[in-house]
Parts: sequence; structure tokens; C-alpha cells
Amino acid sequence: MQITLENVSHTYQPGSPFQSTAIRDVNLTIEQGEFLALIGHTGSGKSTLAQHINGLLKPTAGRVLIDGKDIHDKSFDKKEVRRRVGLVFQYPEHQLFEESVEKDIAFGPKNLGLSAEEIKIRVQEALEKVNLTQDGIKEKSPFELSGGQMRRVAIAGVLAMRPEILVLDEPAAGLDPKSREDMLQLIANLHRNGTTVVMVSHAMDDVARFATRAVVMEKGTVAMTGTPEEIFRHGPQLERMGLGVPAVCKMGMLLREKGIAFPENIFRQEQAAGALLALWKEGTHHAE
Amino acid sequence: MLNNITLGQYYPADSIVHKLDPRVKILLLVALIVGIFLGQNLLSYVPVALFLFLAARLSKVPFSMLLKGLKPLRFILVFTFVLNIFFLQGETPLLNLGFAVIKTESVITAIHYCLRLVLLVLASSLLTLTTAPVTLTDGLERLLSPLRVIHFPAHEMAMMMTIALRFIPTLLEEADKIMKAQTARGADFESGNLLNRAKAMVPLLVPLFVGAFRRAGDLAMAMEARCYHGGEGRTRLRVLKCQKNDYLSCLIMALVILLIILCGKVY
Repeated sequence: MQITLENVSHTYQPGSPFQSTAIRDVNLTIEQGEFLALIGHTGSGKSTLAQHINGLLKPTAGRVLIDGKDIHDKSFDKKEVRRRVGLVFQYPEHQLFEESVEKDIAFGPKNLGLSAEEIKIRVQEALEKVNLTQDGIKEKSPFELSGGQMRRVAIAGVLAMRPEILVLDEPAAGLDPKSREDMLQLIANLHRNGTTVVMVSHAMDDVARFATRAVVMEKGTVAMTGTPEEIFRHGPQLERMGLGVPAVCKMGMLLREKGIAFPENIFRQEQAAGALLALWKEGTHHAE
Repeated sequence: MLNNITLGQYYPADSIVHKLDPRVKILLLVALIVGIFLGQNLLSYVPVALFLFLAARLSKVPFSMLLKGLKPLRFILVFTFVLNIFFLQGETPLLNLGFAVIKTESVITAIHYCLRLVLLVLASSLLTLTTAPVTLTDGLERLLSPLRVIHFPAHEMAMMMTIALRFIPTLLEEADKIMKAQTARGADFESGNLLNRAKAMVPLLVPLFVGAFRRAGDLAMAMEARCYHGGEGRTRLRVLKCQKNDYLSCLIMALVILLIILCGKVY
């Protein structure tokens, strides 16, 4: 399925002294099967944009279309949108509430009106997807788990609804390096198995590693779109927006300043290692 | 979803009313409340209303903002009015409905009560709209501090109120976020009967409480880390001092009270 945002604008508290426009005239199409990264400075409108994708926020102007149909149309079933587009908020572990992990994950499927057996299957499936397969974890209280585990339970709660598109707002924020890597691998895995992923992120290295396309937001508008390769070519421009580039891009820039012919189109660690190795081999060759 | 609450919401503006000493404003409110209850007849609410109208004009708070504070009150108003009409005793019949006779006296009393409620809410809304919460509790603390003699914890009370007020927007924001997160999981907060709606609140309230406790713990830790040890020997950044306008407003209030009493004597 395909989601299209057509000239979407959103103003919070219109008409009050606290009025603020979070996004302005955004046009964006999310294609089936892509891994889209939403990047931007704090307050650039990424989270607001993310909440439009599953209809939680209604645009104050413009339309949001799923396969060409307006989701805010009266004939469009809101539950249908919620089922097909899963949204994982920032720090999703703060929304856990049930007495056991199993019940918490079952909350979504239950709201969809599924049968008890179907819910059981879905809970099991979701737990496997997030790698929480230890014995007895289902009966545990979600509040007894570690931070990383809690977050995975929260994500399982969304996955249990079997969304076709998964929107994640900074899923790796505040996790330790190991949990962070696990989380990213988990998302990459979901993407590999056919889920369309939209990930809001500040970490350019993660964007470089996983995204098939990136959208850069600035002051509520789309400033750039393209593959990570295309985006990260505009390093200085990104830095002016208060964003960074992946560490290896930065290293490449510094090397080029020193007159070393490090190629420009490198933004992943493995590529950088290859390029450095080539440079080094060339160097030793010359030395001989 | 949750941004339609005016009571306790500060409206920032640069006005004479905003700049008044919070202690004076609190005392003025108390005086005005007394004034409202001194009213003997409908005429005596005129000075109160006039005073409120002028104060609101001077404060630059838009009237629509002020009137929004009345919105949650509309059911109570209707309820009070209807209840008083039917259950108060009177002599002069006004309207015969068949099952009950409405008396003129009860209608007048009902109007009294409703007017009082409206004026009370408007007056207190005006105070909170023109006074930043921290300034308000500051004033309250100073007003209550003489009570320390009888071991009344004025500073602690004020600190608790400051913290509570400070966290209202934070908790509202958090509630909004959790509500959205649960809605994204298909939760429905808006339809169903009373029991179902109450049940639907559980996924909202549990995380909200967990979050509030977490925040409370963090805040206590942060306060201790900055050597907070209660009110003993604490100096303040802004020392409150009464100025010309403060005395002037007290004078005006005295006039208003006088007028109310006079109006009561008219007939």
C-alpha cells in the first residue's frame, strides 16, 4: 500500500495566542516496502508529520491518502487506518499499563475485535519478532523488565496488530549500545520481511546504514529528499540545519581537506573501511 | 484533545493588572468574593460586574478567553437554576406548569445563585489569567507566612502548590501523548456507555500515574542535589513590594464594597 501526503499543513491551537504551525505544505509519498528515514532538527515537525501518517492528527490543510483514498473521509474506517499503519511513539515503554506482558501486547488485537485464539497467536508472533522468547516472560509484569525489554514489549504491542507500515519515532533513543543495536537489527529485520518502515531519527549513522530513502525536514517543510547517498553529499547544508552527517562522511571531509583522495560517495562504515584499505594499498604500492 | 482548560491558565500580557502585587490581587479576590455574597438584591451585582469588566479591559485578556472558563460550568448553572426554581418556597405565583407552580421569589433567588457562581468563576479566572502560577504561590506564601507562628507550613504548602501547578501542563501533555499512543493501538476513548468509558481510561491512567511517580522521584532528587532544605532561612529572588497602583486598586475595591452595601440599602 501507498500513503500520500498532499499539501499537508498542521497548526496547533489555531486562533489562540499559543498558535504554532508545525508543518507547512508537506508533499510526500511513502512507497510500499521502503525504509524511509525522517530526519530533522528538534522542532522541525518530524513527530507531527509522523502522527499524520496514521490519522492521529488531522491536517489543518491538505489531505492524507491511503491508496488514493482520503483517510479523513467519513466513509473511511479509522480502525482500518490504525490497523494498517502502526505507530510507535518516542519512549513507547511509557505507555505500558497491563499487569502482564501478554495482556499488554493483546491490547491492540483486542481493540480490533479478534478472537481469543487469534489474539494468542498474534501475541506469540509479536514476541518472537522482538526476540522476547524467554520462558515465563508473558506472565511477567511489564514494569519488572529492563528498559530495553520494556521498549520491545511496547513495540510488540504495535506489531501484534500486523501493520503494513510501521512508523517509529526515535526507537533507539536512550538505549545502551547493545540494546540500541538489537533494536535497529529488529527494525531492519521487519523491513526485510516486507514491512514498510518509516523511522524518525537523529542518528545519521543509522540512517546511512538502514534507510533506502531519507526526508530532511526543516522548519516544518521538506528541505530535501533522496537516497542517503544523495542526502549526505550535502554535508555543509545539513550542518547548517543543525544536523550532522555520518561519522565516516565527516572523516572523509577531513581527509579531503588534508589532500587525500577519499571518495565522496561513502557514508557507511564498511564502505569506508574498503576505501581506506584501497588507499593504503595504493600508498604502499607507491612506496615500493 | 485536552487543551480546553482555562482555569489556572496564565495569559501572558503586559498590563497594569498583570503587574499588580500578587498578594494584593489575592486579597482583592477575597474582598470581591465577600462583596459578591454581601449582595442583597440584583442591583448590588452591578458594581462587581463593572469592576470585573474594567479589570478585564485593563488586563488585555480577551473576553473570549475569560468566558471560556465558564464553559465547564454550564451544567452546574442550569442545574442550580432549575433546582432553585422548583424547590424554593415563595408566595407570589409566576407561572403554573400544572405539576408545579413557579414562584417569583424562587426565580429571583435562582438568578442570584447563578449570577454569584458566574461572577465567582470570572473573578478567579481573571486572577489566574493575569498572574503567573509561580507569582501566585509566591504571594500566597507571603500572605500565609504569619501563620508560621502556629506552625503552619506556609513555605511547604506554597512549594507544593508551585510544583503541582508547574506539572499541570506537563501531565496534560503526557496524557495527550499516552492517549494518542493508545489510540494508535485501536483504543477508543470517545464512544460507549459510562462503564465502558471508565474502563477505557485504565490504559491512560496507569501509565500517567507511573509517569507522575517517576517524575516526582526525579524532581525530589534534583531538588536535593541543589541543597533544597525547606523554607528555613531562604531568601528570594524577587522581593514583593506594594506600589502606587496596588494601593489604588485597594481603594477602588473599598469603593466597590461600599457601593454594594449601598445598593443593598436602596430598596
